[in-house]
Amino acid sequence: MSGSATLLGLSMLCYLLGAVSLGANLFLRRPWLLAAGRTFAVLAALLHGGAIGLRCVEVRHAPFTTPAESLSLLAWIVCLLYLGMEALWRLSAAGPFALGLSFLLVLIGAGLSGAGGPPGSQYAELLAERAISLHILATVAAIGAFALAFSCAALYLTQHHILKSKNGLAWVKRLPPLATVESAGFLLVAIGFPLLTLGILSGLVRAGEGGLPPGWQTDGKTLLAFVVWGVYAAYLVARLGLNWPPVRTAYILIAGLALSLLLFLVPSAAHQFAR
Amino acid sequence: MPLRVTGLSHNTAAPVEVRERLSFTTPRALDDALAVLRAALAPRGGECVLLSTCNRTELYVAAPEDPDREEMAALLLAARGIAPSEMGDWLPFLEDQAGCRAVEHLFRVTAGLESMVLGENDIVRQVKEAFAKAANAGTCGPTLNPLFHEALRVAKRARTEMNLSHGAFSIGHAAAQLAENIHGSLAGRTVLLLGAGAMSETTARHLAAAGANQVLVANRTYDRAVALAESLNGRAIHYDDFVKYLAVADIVIASTAAPHTVVHRPMVEAAMRERSRRRPLFLIDIAVPRDVDADVGEVGEVFLFNIDDLGAIVEEEAAERRRRAVKAEALIREEALAWSARMRAALVAAPLVRSVRAKHHAIVQEGLARLRAELPHLAEADWARIEAFATAIENRIAHDPTIKIKEYAERAAAAASAMPGGGAADDLEAKMRTAREIFGLEEGWESGQSAATTAATATPRRGE
Repeated sequence: MSGSATLLGLSMLCYLLGAVSLGANLFLRRPWLLAAGRTFAVLAALLHGGAIGLRCVEVRHAPFTTPAESLSLLAWIVCLLYLGMEALWRLSAAGPFALGLSFLLVLIGAGLSGAGGPPGSQYAELLAERAISLHILATVAAIGAFALAFSCAALYLTQHHILKSKNGLAWVKRLPPLATVESAGFLLVAIGFPLLTLGILSGLVRAGEGGLPPGWQTDGKTLLAFVVWGVYAAYLVARLGLNWPPVRTAYILIAGLALSLLLFLVPSAAHQFAR
Repeated sequence: MPLRVTGLSHNTAAPVEVRERLSFTTPRALDDALAVLRAALAPRGGECVLLSTCNRTELYVAAPEDPDREEMAALLLAARGIAPSEMGDWLPFLEDQAGCRAVEHLFRVTAGLESMVLGENDIVRQVKEAFAKAANAGTCGPTLNPLFHEALRVAKRARTEMNLSHGAFSIGHAAAQLAENIHGSLAGRTVLLLGAGAMSETTARHLAAAGANQVLVANRTYDRAVALAESLNGRAIHYDDFVKYLAVADIVIASTAAPHTVVHRPMVEAAMRERSRRRPLFLIDIAVPRDVDADVGEVGEVFLFNIDDLGAIVEEEAAERRRRAVKAEALIREEALAWSARMRAALVAAPLVRSVRAKHHAIVQEGLARLRAELPHLAEADWARIEAFATAIENRIAHDPTIKIKEYAERAAAAASAMPGGGAADDLEAKMRTAREIFGLEEGWESGQSAATTAATATPRRGE
């Protein structure tokens, strides 16, 4: 087993333990569970960062030539963004989702690589092009931000429902305040949306240089990217321009994540990296 | 020294009119009482702490000759300036506990398990203040000092590990917590009070304590609104204008005496249209009959809670605290037993440790006296160095036996507490006897030894 695989395995374990600790803390509200969850999250981020770095050294190119690698990168970005949310807003209630998602992404990636994904070295030359690297990095980071914006929307809707219906009020104080999750969700989209725009633009620049299979303009992934971009643009317009109530914009974020994951996973002839 | 506590509280048979007669509500009254108690206890080597809160007056006494129930009652009544002839009237109301039970009682009181509102925090401050007062008055000593520090430590442990102080303790507290769950930080939030009653004032104070620093008060009687606004550092508005301010308020506390509702759905819908839709409105209706139409709660981003909703939250929290208190009680009992065991151990070990140290000291002094006689030509500076060296050796030699004796005693006392009658006390007695034999501390050695030492040290020093 290579060094990067060992570190990745350890980070998976930390993701799982972190998700379980923070999930248990939601129910039991024990300070030590919260501390353990946060520690596992930091450890996972460090180990996973080490695994990705070591992988770069091992294969001598950026670590997203295979589906497993790009899933791993997405998992890492989700964890980093979650740690940022923790530092800014103490949003540990989003931890079970964020760390659980990271664990699942790495697990799925491990399954895909086990099933025989394409060897990374043959893409080294392609990845030397800045536009491609930027295209992938920006898009993956944007999807990571959208995933966490989804968790904020889910927390908002749950808290909103409890406060309106007055059922399960014991849960109210276990969840973050409405205003906090609403602001957090907005900030994540405000980060993710320009990144997605950058990803699409760099993809278009690369496509303009030629060399892509014919019909890339009508490729499923290309079209879906524009749909996702439109959904989040609609969210921003609804929130900033139309003064929609947060409970309505939260549903846009829920739909947005479903489309983002589809964007990530949909097969595409023009996007070899996600095969 | 044995510990005893006597006093009364809401948990005893004493009704409020009895409790208020025995309370020490002003700092002056407490100072005077401590002066009386010091005069009574200091000559006997006793210590005391007087705890007086709105619902509790208790006197903790540690004295070499354990005072009985009547003596304790007499001390407490004297401290309050009540004639001894009234003792018979008071005795049925006073509760008295001694030894380990008194220790456990202090730990329970400090942890808030004996409070009217289970787990409330204020009692910690009150115990700290009572202890500080006693320390300043010089009525605390080697027994009560560590005991009160231990009580504060145990209380902190119980509160932290069992989450005893979490949750809402009152309607106002519950409202403030809900406001934080809706708005996050309350800093800069605007609170609108409809009605200037006591309940709305209390709730507003809770919100202000949580950070809400802009308060508007509307009341039918404008002067009353002005008075309340001043006390809350807020602003009074005319009652008829309150609808205009719904658009700027983040939290509304409605508690008017109106016989019908005064806040209606169209009013709130209009207010919500004027403001950012991302700014929720928290309506707290604590009036009976209600001030806010029930269908106002159906407006998006408006969260309406009436007094029953808040009361249900308080009751739910209290039930949860009662469940946690059961675990805290077990923890406190365990801590009280451990503390009592340590105290008993100290009582058993202290005389033996003193004897061991005294014997070492006597031997050293005897040797030094002999040496002085043999070396009369040495200078005083040299003798000072020799004596310092001898004292260092004496302390070094006594150190390990001292630690071991204390360890044996603590272990045995802990075992005896955990399993009374399990033979731990006999075991400790045997160990202490063995230690006395090893160190040659048979009965009567002190008198013979001290006579010899006196004779030896009586040898005149050079130049004397």
